[in-house]
Amino acid sequence: MLLYSLRRILIMFPILIMISVVVFALALAMPGDALSGQIDPQNANPEYIEEMREQLGLNDPVHVQYGRWMAGVVQWDFGRSTVHKMGVTDLIGERLPNTILLSVMSLIITYVLAFIMGRYAGRHPYTIGDYSIQGINYLMLAIPSFVAALFAIFIFSFQFGLFPSSGSVGSGVTPGTLDFWISKLHHTFLPALVLGALTTASYTQFLRNDIIESSQKDYVRTARAKGTPENEIYNKHILRNSIIPIVTLFGFDIASIIGGAVIVETVFSYRGIGELLISSIERRDSAVVIAITLMLSIATLVGNLLADLLYGVIDPRIRVE
Amino acid sequence: MASLDDKTIEKLEKKAKKQSPWSIARRKLLKNKLAIISLSFLILVTVLAYLAPFIAPYDPNFVDIMNRNNPPGDGYLLGTDNAGRDILTLLLYGARTSLTIGFICMFAVVGIAIVIGSISGFYGGWVDAVLMRFTDFVMNFPFLVFIIVLASIFREAGIGALIVVISILSWTGAARVVRSKTLAEKENEYVMAAVSIGGTPFKVIRKHLLPNVMTTIIVQATLLLAVMIVIETALSFIGFGVPSGTPSWGNMMSEARNPNVIRTQWWIWIPPALAITFTILSINFIGEGIKDAFNPKSLK
Repeated sequence: MLLYSLRRILIMFPILIMISVVVFALALAMPGDALSGQIDPQNANPEYIEEMREQLGLNDPVHVQYGRWMAGVVQWDFGRSTVHKMGVTDLIGERLPNTILLSVMSLIITYVLAFIMGRYAGRHPYTIGDYSIQGINYLMLAIPSFVAALFAIFIFSFQFGLFPSSGSVGSGVTPGTLDFWISKLHHTFLPALVLGALTTASYTQFLRNDIIESSQKDYVRTARAKGTPENEIYNKHILRNSIIPIVTLFGFDIASIIGGAVIVETVFSYRGIGELLISSIERRDSAVVIAITLMLSIATLVGNLLADLLYGVIDPRIRVE
Repeated sequence: MASLDDKTIEKLEKKAKKQSPWSIARRKLLKNKLAIISLSFLILVTVLAYLAPFIAPYDPNFVDIMNRNNPPGDGYLLGTDNAGRDILTLLLYGARTSLTIGFICMFAVVGIAIVIGSISGFYGGWVDAVLMRFTDFVMNFPFLVFIIVLASIFREAGIGALIVVISILSWTGAARVVRSKTLAEKENEYVMAAVSIGGTPFKVIRKHLLPNVMTTIIVQATLLLAVMIVIETALSFIGFGVPSGTPSWGNMMSEARNPNVIRTQWWIWIPPALAITFTILSINFIGEGIKDAFNPKSLK
């Protein structure tokens, strides 16, 4: 296991470097100065731009620029945001906790819902309850997240007034107080629910099918034969086996949440990383765009690594190559 | 008696001939009500979309300044949008844009996946290693984030660039599936026989391997079509997809980024929202129907 983990982690480094090259190429293609964010995009005076380019070394050979950029990146220096007039690192640091809260909440909602629905449908297959859960599943798998977000806002925020329709925290609450945290959770619940809908549906489906399949197996028959209560069979014998594969998918969840969060945060005007990415692209704040792209790429890479490692823990065959 | 026997044999032979894997699959699919209803729905949507210039009540660029934000009713069956354009007309033309982009991207992605997957699976060895490491590499990009950033860079280049951007980032999963199927299929004796009588790799892949991997590819293609439509509409919704003047389902919904539109002008965003959802739903059902139909273990 140790050898396998080391090998997987070492493979990551060349990929990391290649990704940084791709992101650097994107930075060069972006409007303005994506590497340091020093050129004011509002100022279109060619003399000013040429002078700034020379001063910032944007006329240097590509590899020199890449080296300088990477040196900054490893010291957590991503340049400055031209729109927000502050360091990109500080700006991201301000928004990141919101996105992390959203992701964690979405994962919790996903696991709880999938567990409850999957367990029920698996234990009572081919009943009305099972068919309704399946129906909801098909709908959740088909509906794109931005459409789901709009319907959620329309129904829960505007028709019933249960949840706020936008923002990440209410106005007029002091940070640190209990009210602040309640308001935050209240704002986060609806986007988290929408963000987790797709994963919830696939996990529910998986858990249901796995429980139905396991209930036909020999060890379950043995348990029944020795008189184990039905509840105990489902809760102890079957469920424990069925949950393991879902746990290994945790790494992939991180990757799918990253993509989903960009869309969902935008619809809910939730002040997180994804919303910052979209608004920065719209306002041509290239340094912020590149920093977030690099950050999310690394997060995805780590998510995939985690998935591989967890697979290795569960299935020893994977460790041998 | 002899003639009767011959007839019976002939009949049996005919029956046996009919039982090709494709005809079995077709029969199974036709029995699957959900899949057939979905298929009919998708065909209906496609036909309506491409007949848009003939059946749409208005010109998609026709702007009625006096009747902006009209609720459904008089003269405008589904109402008008913020610019005074007819929603029903936009819905029909939007379907054409969204479906066209979905289909083109799907074919492009399947094409790339077949080339990379079958070469990787057939040759194995270092070719396979290089191609699969490359696939892993592309897979490690945060897919949607890269599409959005790339689409914003090539924003001025129009729909063609959008299709290229979506396609070059979406083929990895399908290529892996084609590769693993080719890898398994390659072990069969008939492939060895084809190679031993001097079949060139291209010919062996095209004539022997691809037809046997085809069922998997078809299922993948169906699922990809749904994904491609979702990506196009989502991109257009946040403003990085189809140019804003062109009607598309995503563009129609982008007006709903304003909370007031969500709350009070539901007729602007609910029709395209339902159109997208039901189209994806029907494609998913068709995909599952095809998967079931080709699965010899399923009795349905």
